[in-house]
Amino acid sequence: MFDPTIPTRHPGRVCIIGGGGTGAALAYDLALRGFSVTLLEKGELTSGTTGRHHGQLHSGARYAVGDRAIARECMEETLVLRRIVPDAIEYNGGVFAALSDDEADYAPAFIEACQEAGIPAREVPVAEACSWEPALNPAATRTVWVPDGSFDAFRLPLSFFAAAKRLGAEIRPFAEAVGVEASGGHVRAVLVRQAGSIRDERIECDYVVSATGAWAGVVGKLAGLDVPVTPAPGTMVAVRGRVSDMVISRLAPPGDGDIIVSQRGLSIIGTTQRIVDNPDGILPVDEDVAFMLARADELAPGFSSRAVHAVWAAARPLAGRTSGDGRNISRDFMVLDHAPEGVAGMATLIGGKATVLRAMAEKAADHVCRALGVLEPCRTRDFVLPSWRDWYAEVLP
Amino acid sequence: MMPGSTKNEAMVSLVLNIRDGDSHASFSLEAEPHRTVLDLLERLRAGGGVVPAYRHSCHHGSCGTCGAIINGLEALMCLTTAGDLASARPRLPGGPAVEPETDGQGAVVVTLEPLARMDVISGIAVVPGRVFAGIPGEAVYLAAVENAGRSPLPADPEGARAEGGCKPDAAVWRPAGRVRFEACIECGLCVSACPVAVPFIGPAALAAVNREREKRPETAAAMLALAAAPDGVGPCGRHLACSRVCPQAVYPGKHIQMLRNALGAAARHAAGMSAD
Ligand SMILES: Cc1cc2nc3c(=O)[nH]c(=O)nc-3n(C[C@H](O)[C@H](O)[C@H](O)COP(=O)(O)OP(=O)(O)OC[C@H]3O[C@@H](n4cnc5c(N)ncnc54)[C@H](O)[C@@H]3O)c2cc1C
Ligand code: SF4
Ligand code: FES
Repeated sequence: MFDPTIPTRHPGRVCIIGGGGTGAALAYDLALRGFSVTLLEKGELTSGTTGRHHGQLHSGARYAVGDRAIARECMEETLVLRRIVPDAIEYNGGVFAALSDDEADYAPAFIEACQEAGIPAREVPVAEACSWEPALNPAATRTVWVPDGSFDAFRLPLSFFAAAKRLGAEIRPFAEAVGVEASGGHVRAVLVRQAGSIRDERIECDYVVSATGAWAGVVGKLAGLDVPVTPAPGTMVAVRGRVSDMVISRLAPPGDGDIIVSQRGLSIIGTTQRIVDNPDGILPVDEDVAFMLARADELAPGFSSRAVHAVWAAARPLAGRTSGDGRNISRDFMVLDHAPEGVAGMATLIGGKATVLRAMAEKAADHVCRALGVLEPCRTRDFVLPSWRDWYAEVLP
Repeated sequence: MMPGSTKNEAMVSLVLNIRDGDSHASFSLEAEPHRTVLDLLERLRAGGGVVPAYRHSCHHGSCGTCGAIINGLEALMCLTTAGDLASARPRLPGGPAVEPETDGQGAVVVTLEPLARMDVISGIAVVPGRVFAGIPGEAVYLAAVENAGRSPLPADPEGARAEGGCKPDAAVWRPAGRVRFEACIECGLCVSACPVAVPFIGPAALAAVNREREKRPETAAAMLALAAAPDGVGPCGRHLACSRVCPQAVYPGKHIQMLRNALGAAARHAAGMSAD
C-alpha cells in the first residue's frame, strides 16, 4: 500500500519540463518533499529516449573499469529499484563472456574494478555459465557473473508517475513547453501548448527544472541559454524468442553491439553510437542491423537466425559537447544551475542513464531545496511504488 | 516484412489519413517497405509537419501504447510496416485479406483511427483507462520460467543485497527462480476490437485474471469471483476478435474459456459437496 504522509507542504511551485524517467523520478521526489509540482511532456510520457532504451538494469559492471563512482551508484540504485518497483524488473543476473585472448586478459582488471565499486562480480567456469544459459557461445574462454537485470523501460518510470500523481503532482502529457518567461533575471513562468489547442497557457512557478534529455539544448534556448548536450543515437535490434534469461555482455571495454538483453518474449542486441544535432524523429540506421546481428552471433551463436521483430533507435543525452563520436563524454549526470548565466530559478538535469533515474532526481531535488531555502530530506528509497496500472486507473473519468 | 532489410527495396507510395477530431490530416509520402507506421509519423513530425497527437514509447512492441485502428484493423503502429500496408491485409478482425486500396496515382491509402471504446485525448491518442479498469490491482506482472534443462540461476551473493541495505520487500510477492514479464503488453487492441456492448471487464482483464489464478493458487477464489460477476465471462459472445488482433499471442479468448471451465468445475464441486 503506497500511502506516504507529507510532513510539510511548501509554497514553492516547481515546473518540470520533460516526462522521461528523469522527470518522472523528479516529480515524485519533489512531491514527496512537499512541493507543488507540474510536469510537462510534449508527447506521451516516456516517448523521448526513456521508453526506447535497451532495458538493462545496470549493476554497474559495464562502467566499473572506466569509473568506479558511476558503477557504485548503478549497483546501489539497482538494489533500490528492485525493492521499490519489483514488478517492473526481470532480475535474472548477467554474464560477461570473453571471446578472445585480449578479452580474457581483461577479466582480472574487470573483476577487481567491480569489487572496488561494491559489485559482487565473480568468475565462474565457462561450463557453469553455459549450464545457466546454453545459448552462450561455448567458445568463450572466461565468464564472469554479475548482478545485472532487465527492466521494462516504460512501466518502471510509469510507476514513478503514478506515485507522483497520488501525491498531488500535476503530470501533463501532450503539453509542450514553448517558452520560458523570466524577468529581473529570475524565471517567472513556463508557456505551454496542449496538443489540439491553439492557445498557449502560462504556468507560474518559482523554479523550473529541464529534464529534457537529448532535447535539453532546444529547451535551454527557450530561456536564451546555451546548454551543452550531445544527442547520441544508437540502434537496437529485437529478434523473436528469448536466447537467455540473463543479460549477456562482452567482457571488454564498452563498445558497439556488445550486450544482449532478453525481455518478455524478445532478445535485443544493442547498440551503436553516433552523434546528431537534432534528436527529433530519430530513425534506426539500416547499416547497423547486419553489423549488430553479426555481433550478437558472436555472443550467442544462432541469434541472427531468429526472425527480426523490430529495429529502432533512441538518442542518449550525453552531458557535454564533443567533436568526436561522443565516447569521450562521461556517462555521469549533472545538475546545471543557470543562475550564473543570468537565469536564476532554472536548472537542467542532464546525462546519466535510466538505471539511476532515482539518484538523478535526488540530486536535482536537493538542488531545488537549496535554491528555495527548504530543508527536506529525500525519502524516495523508502516506499514501494504503486503499480503503473495505477496511473491509468486514476485517470478514468 | 522483415524490418532492417534494405537492399534494392522499391519505395512504397502512401497517403496517410490521420484522424484529427472531426476530420483527417492527410500526408503523402514515399517509404521504404521496412519502415513502420510509427517511423513515418516520427519522420513527418521531425520534418515540421503538424501531425495529430499519437502515443508511442518503446518502438518495439513492448510498451503497448501505440495501438490504432489501421485501415479497419487494430494493430500496433510500431510493428506495422509500409510493406505490410502495401500487401493484402484483413479489413477487420478475422476478415479475409484484401488488396490495399489505392488512390488515382497508385498510392496506398492508409487511414489511422484511434482505438475504439477509449476517450480520445487528441488526434489518435487515447486514454486506455478501460483496458486497465478491470485488471486486478494486485495481479503480478512477473511469471516464473522453467529451467528447461538449464541449471538454476545462481543465487545472489549476499553482497548484492547487503550493500545499500535494500532487501527486496517481503510483502511483495514474486516468483522464485527465473522470471519474465507477462506476455500481455496491456495495449488494449483486444478491448477495442471486442464487439460486446454490455458492461464487461473485457478480454485483457479476463486474461490477467486467469493468469493470476494460474500463477498464485491462493488467489484463485477471488479471481473466480471476478470471472463469475455479471461483467465477468458472462457477456463474452465468443467472437474471438480479441485473440485475432492480439499482437502478443496472449489469446484472451482461450483464457476466458479456461475461466469458464474453472467456474464449471467449481460449481460441480460445490454441487457434489452439497449432495453429500
Ligand atoms: C540506445 C540507447 C540504449 C540505452 N540503454 C540503456 C539501458 O539499457 N539501461 C539504462 O539504464 N539506460 C540506457 N540508456 C540511457 C537512458 O535511456 C537515458 O539515459 C534515459 O532514458 C534518459 O531519460 P531522460 O528522462 O533524461 O530523457 P528522455 O527520456 O529523453 O526525456 C526527455 C523528455 O523531454 C521531452 N521534451 C523535450 N522537449 C520538450 C518540451 N519543449 N516540452 C515538454 N517536453 C519536452 C521529450 O519528449 C522527452 O520525453 C540507453 C540510451 C540509448 C540511447
Ligand atoms: S491480451 Fe493481447 S491485445 Fe489484449 S491487451 Fe494484452 S497484449 Fe494487448
Ligand atoms: S511503441 Fe511500444 S508497443 Fe508500439
